[in-house]
Amino acid sequence: MTLNRALFVALLLIGTLWLALPFGMAILWSLVDASTPWTPDHILPPAISLDRWRNMLGNPVLQVALLNSYLLAPTAALMTLTLTLPTAYALGRIPFRGREIARMLTLLPLVVPGFVTAIFLTALLHRIGFTGSRFWAVAFSHALLFLPYAIRILSVSFEQVRQDHIDAARDLGASPLARFRVAWLPALKPGLLAAFLIVFIQSIEEFAIAFILGSPDFTTIPTLLYARLGQDFVRPDAAVLSLILVLPNVILMLILEQLLRSANPSLSSGKG
Amino acid sequence: MSTRAHPVWPKLRLLALLASGLGVILVLIGAVAWIALAQSFGLHNPMGEDRLTLDHWEKMLDRRLYLRAVGYSLWLGFAAALISVALAYPLAIWLRRPFRGSALVSAVLQAPLLVHGLVAAFLFVNIIAYHGLVNQLMVALGVWAEPRQLQNDRNAWGVLILQVWKNLPFALLVLSGSVRAIGDDILDAARDLGAGAFARFRRVILPLSLSALQAALTIVFIGALADYSFQVIAGPTNAQSLAQLMVFSRARSWHEAAVVGVTLMVLSLLGAALIAVLSRALRLRGVL
Repeated sequence: MTLNRALFVALLLIGTLWLALPFGMAILWSLVDASTPWTPDHILPPAISLDRWRNMLGNPVLQVALLNSYLLAPTAALMTLTLTLPTAYALGRIPFRGREIARMLTLLPLVVPGFVTAIFLTALLHRIGFTGSRFWAVAFSHALLFLPYAIRILSVSFEQVRQDHIDAARDLGASPLARFRVAWLPALKPGLLAAFLIVFIQSIEEFAIAFILGSPDFTTIPTLLYARLGQDFVRPDAAVLSLILVLPNVILMLILEQLLRSANPSLSSGKG
Repeated sequence: MSTRAHPVWPKLRLLALLASGLGVILVLIGAVAWIALAQSFGLHNPMGEDRLTLDHWEKMLDRRLYLRAVGYSLWLGFAAALISVALAYPLAIWLRRPFRGSALVSAVLQAPLLVHGLVAAFLFVNIIAYHGLVNQLMVALGVWAEPRQLQNDRNAWGVLILQVWKNLPFALLVLSGSVRAIGDDILDAARDLGAGAFARFRRVILPLSLSALQAALTIVFIGALADYSFQVIAGPTNAQSLAQLMVFSRARSWHEAAVVGVTLMVLSLLGAALIAVLSRALRLRGVL
């Protein structure tokens, strides 16, 4: 169809403007060599090197932020999973009156604006004295904030555990542990991985809580980038930081998408 | 389920199971809302004495800065929601049935979902900088005699562009799911009955994807209403968004920040309610 063809070309053009140009510019800026600045009379940077990357990755400030972010994320994800499993089991396998309402209510953390949660959760944690360790306070807040995703994914997984498998394992005399291994775990595994990963990614990206609760001295990659976009703005450094924040997450997200597909096979196979 | 049919303990067990996840959410998010509300009325003062008062509300409601922030954030919220959805809807319909290359188009359009908001802000600011790509191009083409100051523009076009860049993919994702679920047979039937493209949209697609439309509008609205990062990095310097005002006034007074925080929550709810009422009205009309 010619119309579709024209639209397609138009959209590829928009795609270039939409993605390729912004990222292309960021990559170029991250490669600008410190010796010769990229002045407007040059279309491409006059001197290219990986110096900015080397400097940034060698910078202790970034190393601390990277360490914080990548320790925070798995900690928050494990906390979320621990809190999620009992509730997801109940929502997935026990029919009760008000289950739909309970499911809706689990979405609450996503509805309250991020900075409102950040500021008043900080006030609350201060009040109950739970700010001694910024790391644990931020990790716990992330766990709370991203519970809805994990509960959602895992209650679907629990629904998909097949009762006939459980019964068959029991009838064949399997111990509770063996029953869990053969009947529950295969159905839960993709969901567990997907929930872990989604909280991991969200935690790496989360800005409001890390910024408000963590300030002034607990930094993560987003808070560091925010600072570098503000008072001490150096374009090539900001470009490097942006790419450091984006690249790992894009890869993780692509893995997540595969996992979600297998965690929710009804999407691909059409079976309910 | 009647109460008598079940002994007490399965109920206790259910409650215990729900307490871990749902309970934590209800208690903590409830506490967050309560602290904001209480502080806005002078209670829970972290620095001094508690005193129940309307002073903080009166003071803020009198302040031009506050009123302008309310207007500005509401405008941003609705504009971002409407533009994102208006652009995403035709795309979702176009991409309803797969064709050669449609997967690539979807992927390109949805890629911003993977990009952090702060990174998006940087990418954008980088392109519209004084010596950035846009200025260079316009000057080279002779449209502009000299580079212009595009960053932090007074009309907040920059923030709006960023909001749409970040939220259109999301609206597309939500709308695609529900537009794709509409069967071919019903659209073919409408076509056979003589319905044109617009009539098919109005009578078939719109009513059948209305709840997705409502969800997309609501979520984009709340996100843009409460935006902080885009506004601080790319927004006009003569206007403040509510989230920005809240963060800044916290340095001076928790109570004033709380007034802004409660305002944000109330406006989110009101906006969501308004969108719900409008889509219900549309649903009733669409069925007729």
